[in-house]
Amino acid sequence: MDLDFTRAEQDFRAEVRDWLAGHVPGVPLPSMDTREGFEAHREWEHLLAGERLSVVSWPVEYGGRGASLVEWLIFEEEYWAAGAPGRVSQNGIFLLAPTLFSHGTAEQRERFLPGMARADDVWAQAWSEPEAGSDLAALTSRAERVEGGWRLHGQKTWSSRASYADWGFGLFRTDPASARHRGLTYFMFPLDGVTVRPVAQLDGEHGFAELFFDGLFVPDDLVLGAAGEGWRIAMATTSSERGLTLRSPGRFLATADRLVRLARSTGADPVLADQVARAWLDAESYRLHTFGTARRLAAGEEIGSASSMGKVFWSELDVRMHALALRLLGERGLLDGGAPDAEEGGRWLDGYLFSLAGPIYAGTNEIQRNIIAERVLGLPR
Amino acid sequence: MNFAFTDDQLALAAAVRQVLAAHCPAEAVRNGRTPAWSQLAEIGLFGLLVPQEHDGLGLGLVDAVLPFEETGRAALPGPVAETAVAAPLLLAGDPALGKLAAGSLRVSVRIGDQGYAPDADLADLLIVEREGVPYAVRPEAARLTPQPGVDRRRPLFGVEFRDAARLRTGIAPAVRAVTVAVAAQLVGAARHLLDTTVGYARTRRQFGAPIGSFQAVKHQLAEVAIAVEFAAPLVYAAALAVDRHLPTVDRDVSAAKAAAGEAAELAARTALQVHGAIGYTGELDLGLWLARVWSLSAAYGDPGLHRSRLRTAILDTPEVRRWP
Repeated sequence: MDLDFTRAEQDFRAEVRDWLAGHVPGVPLPSMDTREGFEAHREWEHLLAGERLSVVSWPVEYGGRGASLVEWLIFEEEYWAAGAPGRVSQNGIFLLAPTLFSHGTAEQRERFLPGMARADDVWAQAWSEPEAGSDLAALTSRAERVEGGWRLHGQKTWSSRASYADWGFGLFRTDPASARHRGLTYFMFPLDGVTVRPVAQLDGEHGFAELFFDGLFVPDDLVLGAAGEGWRIAMATTSSERGLTLRSPGRFLATADRLVRLARSTGADPVLADQVARAWLDAESYRLHTFGTARRLAAGEEIGSASSMGKVFWSELDVRMHALALRLLGERGLLDGGAPDAEEGGRWLDGYLFSLAGPIYAGTNEIQRNIIAERVLGLPR
Repeated sequence: MNFAFTDDQLALAAAVRQVLAAHCPAEAVRNGRTPAWSQLAEIGLFGLLVPQEHDGLGLGLVDAVLPFEETGRAALPGPVAETAVAAPLLLAGDPALGKLAAGSLRVSVRIGDQGYAPDADLADLLIVEREGVPYAVRPEAARLTPQPGVDRRRPLFGVEFRDAARLRTGIAPAVRAVTVAVAAQLVGAARHLLDTTVGYARTRRQFGAPIGSFQAVKHQLAEVAIAVEFAAPLVYAAALAVDRHLPTVDRDVSAAKAAAGEAAELAARTALQVHGAIGYTGELDLGLWLARVWSLSAAYGDPGLHRSRLRTAILDTPEVRRWP
């Protein structure tokens, strides 16, 4: 057991740090949940991709550097510490891409991954339906078999990035006689054939949308994996969503460091100071835990349901850190970017509202605790 | 970067676990003072940190951390952390190290934030701190005052002494190491409490169903699993920090002890609640582990003391650093 970075890993960190120091926008980009901000974030992704920094862990032929998991974690630490923009391509590169790598065809990988790496194509996830949220297997959207492909019918909701994205992916029922987890198929589809109704979020922006499918034709080559295998394939993706691949510690480490700096500048009474110190150490613990997980994954192990423990831990930590920052700032913490007295342009408030989604998306934390209890601990269903 | 235990480290822990399973069942915890000690000596537990020239294995704390989890899992009685972890550092260079490595010198200590010497009545040698200096005290030169407490299998003693030999070693390294060893024991005890409670919740039926099928019970146990899962890495990293003499070592040790103590206390509290009234009886073995968690969590600085130090280390220093 050790915690030593190799010479090459240290060099990689230095290279990433230098590049970010020279390129991260001095003024934060507008929210990616506005048309203008979305395109600004797409431009930033182009810049990253030009340096092969948008998807460092992908193979070189798709725009990556073939970096190891540890190098990817280093990249993430540096990325968030530098205050770089949020990733508009997140749904594609962290949720869909792992599934394409494991279940896609060579043609699908060649067709979609390079554009995803450059954010020429931004992808939206389409899991939930009005009557299928935590109970995802209750979904009723369906695909009807036609010559050369399928026609999609039904409705999806809370589709992140869908207001402005180019493509979507999600599950549809292809066997009308099937129930629950069976008879589902994983589809990719162009959003320009779908009716998209943006939905305003708590922060007033339109980060997610409802999608209405009215017989959109999707050719067979947009099916990911075999028809009827959608649930199994999607579960591989959702464990990425709540596990290592999406939630690198970098973002939480950067927030924890900012929180400590804030507490020093505002002064913190011992009660709040204690909570700040705890949060900083929890972020550190998540980082160490992730190094252990990275090692296990590199050795070919699967983390499976244990990723649910991480999801509960980081999502609650993120809320706690932002809530603490607002507490340290008092009334001023609740001013948004338009207010002259706002701290850091309202960034803590934005972050707080964003963090509140964490315990809900990717499977609510109540569902995660059921998964931990049943699949990690072995309690009866 | 390999933040995972090596095959050798895992094998050593497995050997300790096997010995404890055979020689330290709950019955022995309840009735014995030093069960499994001779068998643990045979597999080298007491020589782990003793240099090879004194017939030890010359290993580091990171090699001892999983074996110590196992001693906590088994609620092994006796001053094992004091003998196997504190003593080799306090007696560095001393000829007594050979006996220590062989398991024929049992040591209790009263150093650092520890106000009393645990299991001092069993000790062949006491090492007591006075004004920052360690002294070796023979049992016949010591006056022990029993201070009975909640953990009757880890009795505490006040120590006064007449004749003593001043040791030339420092206190701080031994305090750090034994604190991490006790943190590892707390993680092990928490794992045992979680396993035992899950086992009970799977079989105990009420309202026609196992109580472990109720979400109110499931979610409490999931919380314990999360707390233990994220306390353990801090303990492992603290062991590395001790071995490497990192500048962050004191902060890392406090983080390990605070997190392990809090996780184990949560495991204990939840275990009792899920067991219900049967858990409250002295007839079940559960109480042995509850008492051990309480006493170890208070030993070498309780979570409150370490949290207070962490607050200072993180907020009152010019720059808070992560390692690596």
